[in-house]
Amino acid sequence: MNNLNLVRGLFLTLISLMFGLTSMTYSIGKLGKAGPGMFPLIVSGMLFMIGLATIIGSRYKLPVPISYNFKNIAVVLLGLCGFAIISHYLNMMAAILFLVFSTAYAAKSFTVVRNLKISAVLIAIAFAFKYLLGLNLPLI
Amino acid sequence: MDLLNNLAFGFEHALTWQNLMYCAIGCVVGTLVGLLPGLGPLSTISLLLPLTYSIPTDGSIIMLAGIYYGAQYGDSVSAITMKIPHASSIVACIDGYQMTLKGKTGLALFTAGISSFIGGTVAILVLATLAPTLGEVALLFGPADYCALMLLGFVCVSFVTTGSMLNGLAMTLIGVLLGLVGTDVNSGALRFTLDLPFLADGVGLISVALGCFGIAEIVKNLDGGGEQTPFNGKIHLMPTWPEFKRIIPSALRGSVIGSILGLLPGGGPVIAQFAAYAVDKRFSKFKHEMGDGAIEGVAGQAAADEAAARTSFIPLMSIGIPENAVMALMMAAFIVKGVQPGPNMIANHPDLFWGLVASMWVGNCFLVILNVPLVRYWLSVFKIPFSVLFPGILFFCCIGTYSINNNLDDVYITAMFGFIGYMFMRLGLEAAPLMLGFILGPMLEEYFRRQLLISRGDFTSFLTRPISGSLLALIGVFMLWQIIAFVRQAKKGPVAA
Repeated sequence: MNNLNLVRGLFLTLISLMFGLTSMTYSIGKLGKAGPGMFPLIVSGMLFMIGLATIIGSRYKLPVPISYNFKNIAVVLLGLCGFAIISHYLNMMAAILFLVFSTAYAAKSFTVVRNLKISAVLIAIAFAFKYLLGLNLPLI
Repeated sequence: MDLLNNLAFGFEHALTWQNLMYCAIGCVVGTLVGLLPGLGPLSTISLLLPLTYSIPTDGSIIMLAGIYYGAQYGDSVSAITMKIPHASSIVACIDGYQMTLKGKTGLALFTAGISSFIGGTVAILVLATLAPTLGEVALLFGPADYCALMLLGFVCVSFVTTGSMLNGLAMTLIGVLLGLVGTDVNSGALRFTLDLPFLADGVGLISVALGCFGIAEIVKNLDGGGEQTPFNGKIHLMPTWPEFKRIIPSALRGSVIGSILGLLPGGGPVIAQFAAYAVDKRFSKFKHEMGDGAIEGVAGQAAADEAAARTSFIPLMSIGIPENAVMALMMAAFIVKGVQPGPNMIANHPDLFWGLVASMWVGNCFLVILNVPLVRYWLSVFKIPFSVLFPGILFFCCIGTYSINNNLDDVYITAMFGFIGYMFMRLGLEAAPLMLGFILGPMLEEYFRRQLLISRGDFTSFLTRPISGSLLALIGVFMLWQIIAFVRQAKKGPVAA
């Protein structure tokens, strides 16, 4: 199963099925008066064919193992989602601090002083955006 | 002779101190908004439109135009240095960013600047000579023709992708499907929104671009150790003579393609950069280097992008039809000033028309003067270690997506696309074709359904129109060629992916 081409084909097929099956729940209509489901159904059908071709094609290609590391993407996503949540419930200054400190775990080196300096610079930039460019940032 | 007289007349207006100042302001503001993700020419022009009430007509139009084409250059800087693109710099992410990884950021930025200058100059010549007649070309295109043109654009992705054509087409189709998320404009039905209210307006382009390119690239760098810095201490800015000889033909090809495709409504300028890249990948002497940091990959698309931005003024000024949202705002600016864009504009307001054409070239010079010396300062970003830089990039991604609608939900969407982009990257699927599909998908559906409605469901109507028939025949020949190549390769037995 650790075959890049096969997984890629399965992934494409899965996406096509997700969109294709959902589009079948909308009105398809007629060719002369297409409903909201017709075009996505056609496109998903084409994507399904490509997915299928990729799966079949994987038999003719030498297997390539997939490399992945979910730790870093998880840390970055946590940082981004935390930024949005803290901005919503507290303020964006605290959110910037959280973003810098949480995502720093993904880097090789982590020092509190350096992260505080980065946060201070980014908060200063955010204030400049708010008061010079007029962006509506909930900083305080 | 008339042309020279008209241009001289235009330069008389463009070179007044007042108009030079407005042109410079437009170029500077445009370059700055182009650098920041989320702030594009559309939002900037809409913000500045009320301020132009107190500015003379020619000055305000020159300034707003400067913002538009200044942003076209500015956004290539963030695409080349950080792989954070806007709609008009998606292709710059491919070879431009590869050049950055090889420590050639200075050369890539200089190439983008000089190619934009070439593209802009060619487009201005087209604008000056053919504007009165060329605008009517857009009127020849019906819904079927636009459909065929967009499908041709999709086929172009097979050249853009460094992997297989099938992968490129698959990503384009995924982009089309993602572009359909939201409210169907014809029926009002909500599609693929997962019952989430904030998806009713669809997924934002910036969220997809930042997620699939910016965030995915950051995580990739972190996976690779996170201390990568392409700055090698030496700033290689000016191209060598052999490099310069590679830039010129590519930029000229891109200029011609951009000048033609810029005329077409909707996705013209977006298709232009992909088409220019595809042509370079097919006809350049160094096509084997494309996708791996080839200078042509930056030159051609930058010239096409800039040329398309200029010629997109033609339909507006010659037939009074804005071909995209930015041009619609420009039209509003004209009307606010009491100028009705259309067939009589050149006759009624020659000073404004020729002054604007001449100011575009002046703006071109401003952009080169402004941006080439600044390349050294953009490069100083790379003196910062990546572990310090990436929280800042993430911060700009958050601020950029939030500030579009002042909505934090857009940050969640960006994070989601960051994950999807990472998955695509690990599965060897490139994001550039996805962006093309995402931008053109809704338009393709609109034209497709309109044509079927007009022809009462007759599919052959796509083949019987001369323009769409020719374009579809071209696509057919191309697909056949690809299938033959695939079958030949398959017969040789199992190959490495």
